[in-house]
Amino acid sequence: MSAQKPAQSDDPIELLADSMNVWVGKLSDIVHKVIDTEPIRNVINWARMYSLWPVNITTACCSAEFGAASGARHDLERFGVLPYGSLRQSDLIVIEGTITKKMAKRLRMIYDQMAIPRYVIAMGDCAISGGLFHDSYSIVNGAHEFLPVDVFVPGCPPRPEALEHGIIMLQEKIRNSKVYPQS
Amino acid sequence: MTTTDKPAQESTLGSPSPDEPGAQTLTLSVGPQHSGSGHMRLIVELDGDIIINAEPDPGYVHRGIEKIIELRNIIRSIPVIERPSIIDASNLNHAWVKAIEELQGVEPPARGQYLRCLLNEMNRIMSHLYWLSIYGVFLGHTTMFMWPLGDRELFIDLAESLTGARITYSYLVPGGVRRDLPQGFAEEAIKRTEYFEKRLDEYENIFFKNPLFTSRAKGVGVLSRQRAIELGATGPTLRGSGVDADLRKDEPYAAYSELDFKVHTRPDGDSYSRVMVHVDEMRESSQLIRQILEKMPSGPVRRKAPIVVPRGEAYGRVESARGECSFYMIGEGGDKPYRARYITGSYRNMAAISAVLQGVRLADMPTSWWSIDYWPVEADR
Repeated sequence: MSAQKPAQSDDPIELLADSMNVWVGKLSDIVHKVIDTEPIRNVINWARMYSLWPVNITTACCSAEFGAASGARHDLERFGVLPYGSLRQSDLIVIEGTITKKMAKRLRMIYDQMAIPRYVIAMGDCAISGGLFHDSYSIVNGAHEFLPVDVFVPGCPPRPEALEHGIIMLQEKIRNSKVYPQS
Repeated sequence: MTTTDKPAQESTLGSPSPDEPGAQTLTLSVGPQHSGSGHMRLIVELDGDIIINAEPDPGYVHRGIEKIIELRNIIRSIPVIERPSIIDASNLNHAWVKAIEELQGVEPPARGQYLRCLLNEMNRIMSHLYWLSIYGVFLGHTTMFMWPLGDRELFIDLAESLTGARITYSYLVPGGVRRDLPQGFAEEAIKRTEYFEKRLDEYENIFFKNPLFTSRAKGVGVLSRQRAIELGATGPTLRGSGVDADLRKDEPYAAYSELDFKVHTRPDGDSYSRVMVHVDEMRESSQLIRQILEKMPSGPVRRKAPIVVPRGEAYGRVESARGECSFYMIGEGGDKPYRARYITGSYRNMAAISAVLQGVRLADMPTSWWSIDYWPVEADR
């Protein structure tokens, strides 16, 4: 069952356990290890990839292109992306444009309230580096200053196709990720 | 609806209701993360299910645009001033170039004026369709979300072939417009507007006669004619209260004096009236597009204009999709304005939010609020 061998350690119990091909440790660690092996991990990641529900939070004008991407023609729901009102059931924040100082606090609050796993897409130049408004007195220059961002989608505003590409990139990232993230 | 913010008052239990002894009102904070769209917070005071007071809390998208345009030259400012209402970029852009041209004394060529009107009307339709689709989200009506957004793409394609961008055009520059019509634009536009008008008839049957919509819009969120004027409401909100006010008619600019169109009003002032004003305007804009293409003179589209704001003051205002949008500009002779005051339709309609929401049930709050066509990015600037 153990596909990969754990790294050699100095702990005599672990060395003994390793030679006997048994696992020693906390039950939760063992469960995590079992779940993170190939077939189970693939199934869980597959479920996560195709049910990315972004929470309904709009920060600025890229929301127009997010709306266009969710609507007819570009229909984001074919990727499993369904904008949703309740943040406890959502697992994605799409930061749609400029983040003002007033909004940044609320964004962080929303991120903290979401259940793990949670992902962040920074959409638009303003959410990446401040963009057109980089010298304004009231904005935060980039979402990475207060949130861990998974995918950056550049553009001002990005076309719906670019957002779709960003979502596919995020799905690829989830496909290759561990079931239990370190955070 | 999730409350992500601390309530406005220390306790969620507010002041006692005057009617019943011992009864208390509930203060609820809605937003900025809520189940519709919009980056703003509403602080709502409830008596049972009825809203007795609603205070908007704007400023979540305040980006200091008035300051930024003092730092860039007038051409580099164009993308900045059209960002507040990205779905209505051309109309905002028009107010900007109008104020500059007034100072410079430059008159664009006739074909340039017609092309400006063409993009303005296309933008009005796009903006209204986007607004209608979000209205569908607030109603919980998925078809009403999908159909207008799908039909909006008809005009986005047209605008893309004309300007090269989907929604942010930067097409209007002082002295005219950036480029002429592409080949085959007129035929395609006529085909698409005719198709769109047929779609509007379908909308009529499936959305506007639908009890799902009428029962939540008719007689809800009434803004009387008198109150709308007092509060300084503008655009479709004002016309939905029965006031015949449209800058395109009252103070014709660009080519509007040569075009034939009607200003649509509805007398009732409820959510339904405001929605129907939008629908009538889309129909009107659709026929205006065909009219513009028919009447468009030939000639150059742009006249050379200096990149300079001459000393003086100017006021340029246009009728944008959300009402009157204006620039008050003070020039010093440099390539940047000394000061530019920027007022948009949503900013003025913000005052109407409290008036509309008073006495409305909490369940009807999203639709009544959205019927004002309030775009927070545009209001905060």
